[in-house]
Order: sequence, then structure tokens, then C-alpha cells
Amino acid sequence: MKKRFNPIKDRASEIIEFLMDSPDIPQDESLRFKLRLSIEEAVENVVSYAYDGGIGWLEAGTSLDNDSLILTIELRDAGTPFNPLEKADPDVTLSAEERAVGGLGIFLCKKMMDSISYRYEDGNNVLTMTKKIAE
Amino acid sequence: MDIKIIKEGQKTIVILDGRIDTSNAEKFQNDIAPLLVGDNPDIDIDCSGMTYTSSQGLRSFLTLQKSVNARRGKMVMRNMNPQVKEVFDITGFSNIISII
Repeated sequence: MKKRFNPIKDRASEIIEFLMDSPDIPQDESLRFKLRLSIEEAVENVVSYAYDGGIGWLEAGTSLDNDSLILTIELRDAGTPFNPLEKADPDVTLSAEERAVGGLGIFLCKKMMDSISYRYEDGNNVLTMTKKIAE
Repeated sequence: MDIKIIKEGQKTIVILDGRIDTSNAEKFQNDIAPLLVGDNPDIDIDCSGMTYTSSQGLRSFLTLQKSVNARRGKMVMRNMNPQVKEVFDITGFSNIISII
């Protein structure tokens, strides 16, 4: 299922809950925690940075493969072209003083999901994340 | 997210309850502002009620730890649930914040 939200300013929570309420999202609590975190970080990124002033749309969707083993979450927007995966991962071995505040959102997505990919297609940013949800 | 801050002598006990996410991160940052002032802080954070944190919550905890270090104080976080602990482990925050 998918839905286009327009405009998206101040609607991150609504978009996150829409995705988490999808029947494609499993009930297992540990999986839901990881999925919620990844969805929140990815949605927050678009809502905060894709458009000047948050005036624009975001299409959010979930789907399952034929065997219902692999969940795919896709976010699409028409904002400024931006590949969040190009950003270097934070150095997690640094001390508190050396660590910068922030920059952990997409890193958490990478760690919590099995795969995350970005493409620029027909003038849209498309972020796709997958997670194995059943054996 | 509900937060209780209790002064017990030199110690400051903080009790967290709920989720820290996009919807309340700014409020949480404001709620912990009293912990960012004062000499030689001794802060004990009970996380047993904290069910979730996004990177927004992590920002606040790092800011707090940096502030505590700069004031030569100490801070511990205790009773963290395993899933929240995993977020702290993955991001290296377990190495810079004392979690017991």
C-alpha cells in the first residue's frame, strides 16, 4: 500500500504511523522497533530537508515479495536531489568530546535494515529499504 | 515521554518513561535543560520506562554527556531495555556513556 502526503510540513508523525499501520509490517516487537526507527529516520530526513519550508509531497509505501518474506519500504519525493547514502558513516569509536552531535539517522537505517538504496528517477528522490521479516 | 527529575542530596535522579521520537524530541531537549547547569553533576538516569529512542534522543543524551564531562561530573544510565541498548551499542554511545 502507498499514499502521497502533500504538503508534508509537520506531518512526520502521521507519515510514520501510516507506514507502521500497514498490514505488511509484522507484529513481532523486536522487528517493529527496528522498522519504526528506520522509517522515522528516513521520513524525518525528507520532511526536514527535501523541500524549502516543507512545501512538497512525499509518497510512502510498503510492499511484500511473493513469499511474504521480504518487506520493502519506499519513500519518494520531488525535492532537492540528495543521496543520503553518500554521507560517510560516523566514527563510533570517538570519545564524547570528539563526537559531533547528529548525523546518526541514516546510519541507524543502514544498521537496522538489511539493505538500503537510493536512486534519482524521473525527477524524484527514491529511497528503498528492505528487511527480511520471516524465515 | 514523561521525565521526572528528583534531587537527592548531591545526586540528581532522572526517571524516563515513554518514547523519545520526532514528535517530542524538542520537548525532551527542553525537559533536560535543568541537567545542563550546575557544578560537579552526579546524574543517575533510570531508563526502565524508556521504550524507544530515535537519533533525536541520542542527540540529547550526547549533549548531556558532553556537558557533564565538561563540568567534571558523572552520569550513569541504568535499566535500559535491550532494544534501546542495541541502539546505544550500534552508535558507539555505549562507549561514551556509562550504562549499568
